[in-house]
Amino acid sequence: MKRPKIISFICILGYITVLISFPQVFSPSIKKLGIFMPAIYGILAAANFIACVGLWYFKQWGVQLYILSFFSKTLFVVLTQQYTYSFYFGEFISFIFIVILLRFYPKMSQNL
Amino acid sequence: MLFILLKESVLFAWQSLTSNKLRSFLSLLGITIGIFAIILVFTIVDSLENNIRGSIQTLGNNVVYIQKWPWTFGPDYPWWKYMNRPTPQYYELDDLQRKCKSTEAFAYRMGARKTIKYKSNSIQNAVVAGISHDFYKIKNFDLTAGRYFTQSETDAGYRVALIGANIAQGLFLNEDPIGKEIKIAGQKASVIGVLKKEGESLLGNSFDYQVITPFNFARIMMDTRSENADPIIYAKARPNVTNAEMMDELTGALRSIRKLKPAAEPDFALNETSLLSKGFDQLFDIIGTAGWIIGGFSILVGGFGIANIMFVSVRERTNLIGIQKSLGAKNLFILVQFLSESVMLSCVGGFFGLLLTYIITMLGKGAVDMEITLTGTNVVLGFTISILIGIISGFIPAYSASQLDPVEAIRSN
Repeated sequence: MKRPKIISFICILGYITVLISFPQVFSPSIKKLGIFMPAIYGILAAANFIACVGLWYFKQWGVQLYILSFFSKTLFVVLTQQYTYSFYFGEFISFIFIVILLRFYPKMSQNL
Repeated sequence: MLFILLKESVLFAWQSLTSNKLRSFLSLLGITIGIFAIILVFTIVDSLENNIRGSIQTLGNNVVYIQKWPWTFGPDYPWWKYMNRPTPQYYELDDLQRKCKSTEAFAYRMGARKTIKYKSNSIQNAVVAGISHDFYKIKNFDLTAGRYFTQSETDAGYRVALIGANIAQGLFLNEDPIGKEIKIAGQKASVIGVLKKEGESLLGNSFDYQVITPFNFARIMMDTRSENADPIIYAKARPNVTNAEMMDELTGALRSIRKLKPAAEPDFALNETSLLSKGFDQLFDIIGTAGWIIGGFSILVGGFGIANIMFVSVRERTNLIGIQKSLGAKNLFILVQFLSESVMLSCVGGFFGLLLTYIITMLGKGAVDMEITLTGTNVVLGFTISILIGIISGFIPAYSASQLDPVEAIRSN
């Protein structure tokens, strides 16, 4: 099945987000949180990127990884108590995207 | 099974990297420069921070500095209010000692730059400090030779001096300085002690280039009312007394000593080391953020370089991928094979970036008298960034390679 336009939009938005958020891995604010925090934040950014690649190829594992990275990021923010307006906005948008992705989930390819 | 898959993938990746040496070198150069830029900035910021925090620590957490100027930073600094304030005076020390019960010790210090001579050797612009007797209770300093002043020496203003390690080295070379007579701005003084070497301090409070004399001797050589002498009264809190409690008492005592009316603004500043720490925190945040922006975007550009070279690599080996898949290689194998090539490329780049940083820090140690250390945390951070950038930049080419149709792939040139 051809990839729906809304999924292409989610993927492009995801790529842009990763592009902007990846340099934040080295930001002093993340480094201050702890020694391993830049690495954890980087893994989350990489997982989000890979999930977007999976969605671009219309694969089910893309949705699974997207949901996993969403919850992991939420947990990271809750544990480090780094609540910002952009975090709440991001959570809201991601939640809407997850609902959309789950609607298309049965039509997606199960293969790697 | 996973281990065999990884081993095979790494071997394939290694072959590919070594067969195109120039291309591999050029593509890892971006990552090398990116990692070098970001880790070097972090290393320098960390080292500066350690040095300054160490220097602040030596100032004492439970010591309050009574001065004319407050240690505040920022654009809203009403200097015109402070410039007419009087400087702290030596006679205020006795009154303060009498009025304050929350302090363990008070000390007075003033200083000026003077020329120190011993025979034909001389040191210009050495800091000569005139101190009150209890100064040793405020500042911790060790002596490598000799002794501290006696109470009668400080009270009577004996012509005696303690000299810093660099002053001793500069004036006496291999001679023993104890008991020798030096000239401080033309005034004779006998050396009774040598201070232990402290090393360079970015705050400029190292004793290495200082000559310490009793205040009553130093006042002959400098103007005690001059602001240039930077007069300070130190107050150290008793155990279990907070700085805030002591500062409340000091404020009351100073207002009464200076006969300030109840509505009048205080004409003195009570400075704490926490004020300095806050000021430097802001500074380090700015430097760190600048480093993050420069390094972050260098790495991003390096990542694009790796992604580009990986696309070329996939295109070159398309028919090889087809053969591998037709012989039974799974999608995951192809994916891991290209992904490990990208991660390896990025890690090698990161390694050279870290090596370059290490070399620069070694050279820096010789150039500046300050401890610059590439810490384990920054090494781990460098490698983590390299692995992540390798994964992110190599995933799309690797995944597109894994999705190739074997028949179409074999047919391609």
